[in-house]
Amino acid sequence: MKTEIIKTKDLDKIYQDNGVPVQALKNINFLVTQGDFTVLAGPSGSGKTTLLNLIGALDSPTAGNVFFEGVDISKKKPRELSSLRLHKLGFIFQAYNLIPVLTAIENIEFSMMLAGISEKERRERALKVMADLGIRELADKRPNEMSGGQQQRVAVARALVNNPMVILADEPTANLDSKTGSILLDIMQQMNEERNITFVFSSHDPQVIERGKRLVLLHDGMIESVSDQPEVK
Amino acid sequence: MLIKLAWRNIWRNQRRSLIILGSIIVGMAIIVFIDALVVAFLNQTFENQIGSHTAHIQINREGFNDNKTVQKYLPDTDKVESLLDDNPDVAHYSRRVITFGLLNSAYNSSGISIIGIIPDEEQYITTIKQYIVEGRYFEGGLNEIVMSRRTAETLQVGLGDRIVGMASTLEGDVGAEMFRVVGLYQTVSSGFDKMHAYVPMATAQQMLDLGENVSQFALIASDLDAVPNLRAMLQSSLGNDFEVLSYAEIMPLLITMIDMSQQSMIFIYGIIGIAMIFGIINALLMSIFERIQEFGVVMSIGMNNSRIFLMIMFEAIFLGIIGIIGGAIIGGGITLHLQNAGMNLGAFSEGLAAWGIGAVIYPELNIAVIFRAVFVILITCILASIWPAVKAIRLKPVEAMRYV
Repeated sequence: MKTEIIKTKDLDKIYQDNGVPVQALKNINFLVTQGDFTVLAGPSGSGKTTLLNLIGALDSPTAGNVFFEGVDISKKKPRELSSLRLHKLGFIFQAYNLIPVLTAIENIEFSMMLAGISEKERRERALKVMADLGIRELADKRPNEMSGGQQQRVAVARALVNNPMVILADEPTANLDSKTGSILLDIMQQMNEERNITFVFSSHDPQVIERGKRLVLLHDGMIESVSDQPEVK
Repeated sequence: MLIKLAWRNIWRNQRRSLIILGSIIVGMAIIVFIDALVVAFLNQTFENQIGSHTAHIQINREGFNDNKTVQKYLPDTDKVESLLDDNPDVAHYSRRVITFGLLNSAYNSSGISIIGIIPDEEQYITTIKQYIVEGRYFEGGLNEIVMSRRTAETLQVGLGDRIVGMASTLEGDVGAEMFRVVGLYQTVSSGFDKMHAYVPMATAQQMLDLGENVSQFALIASDLDAVPNLRAMLQSSLGNDFEVLSYAEIMPLLITMIDMSQQSMIFIYGIIGIAMIFGIINALLMSIFERIQEFGVVMSIGMNNSRIFLMIMFEAIFLGIIGIIGGAIIGGGITLHLQNAGMNLGAFSEGLAAWGIGAVIYPELNIAVIFRAVFVILITCILASIWPAVKAIRLKPVEAMRYV
């Protein structure tokens, strides 16, 4: 039996949009287990990113609970949530979101610095993950000197380097051409298969959906279907 | 890495950082210059008072200071000398005969303190010798008199002229002595010049029928910090017939003025700090608003609030450090130049003379001046960073990442 990592229970999220309540998620019950390669799919506004933010401890639910390794994180203090994100989770964003004043290797080292890893070890680990991802030669380049695909690989390296339990990727290929997106997905798939790293994607990119081991289809803030053999929608 | 990040962050918008650095540099330079000027003002006032007459410690007969009559001579000079000789805390001492009398010339007369001194001793205590502007200091003649140029003008006498000094003797009679003017001095204090004339001590003793007695011992301590203990030791050793007074007791107004001036500098620091703080806050706030999305990202990858707070504080401290270096170079350079060349405040010479200060001020740049300026700038920068840092840590990761 696979280890349960993230579980949501009757999760609701209501936003206030100019004073008008908007139900972004409704009664979500969702499970992520070790080694998953799950894709949250659905049209814009279906709640993919909101769900990703909630299970990534970036946002708090209006009702219901999010359990991480069996512990309810819905009511945790900001400091505890920071620590959880730092040590257990990795994030990949659509817009790469590298720190512009840091070089590629410094961006990768940054999260290790936050985790208190020594400078020497940081450098070794950053170089190794960069070599694994084929971006060793980008070490001293700043984000504005790299292509989108290169930046996203650096972002993947940054997410991987602290050895997180789960990597949450929000539309990671949306800003990339299909070839670059495919290469990036190859890398992540390889990490999933070889290292058993858990991935949860939010995406409506067909090539992401194709590769997912499990597809969770959202519609209007609710889970419409969950399938282990996803089809391109 | 946090420090590296903070350092690079301040150069994201170079123009903004340079503008705010300009204000910090000017603030630092002003603090250094004003502080050095005030230090010079206070030190010169203090040293002029000590050097013109007061010395560090005066030993008198009990009650002499309230009523300086010739009858209040010191009861036992040998006892005093035995305590002062070979005392390591005493650098120099001189004996004085002091009386209030009258100087008469053929044309006018002037009431004045006639100070009988031993020139070789007194030259280590007071600076009158250095202030001689015409003629010379004492050369051993018994009837020589050194007076201020101002007194000479009042008496309408010049070098070589004869005048008669008169004062009440020990027995209450009128004692008189003829003197020849050998030197005219001019200190920075017009009030002092009007009131003091110097004659050889032996002649003063003779004029006043004092015999070998003296009115006062004035002494300079080897270290200013040793004065309180030295005074206490002398007072307890000499007993109640003697009155041992430190400079702080002799001129309490001046000491109060120095204390108040030092305290008033805190207000000046505060005003300069306030002038700078809003500029720094504004620059940091703008910098944070430009990076809201980035704060969301670093929060999402696990940067906690204390680290974000620290990073913004480092940015402010870096601005402060660069401003301190620039301000120290500019302010220090100007101050050092004026420390050597002097700053002519001739337009205010009368007002300055009333405080016992010359028209030319030499700002005094020292490590304490720099330290105080550095402290003010750093505290200002740290305080300025608090509001922007609080703004940053109040951001919510999701909202910050969505911010456009």
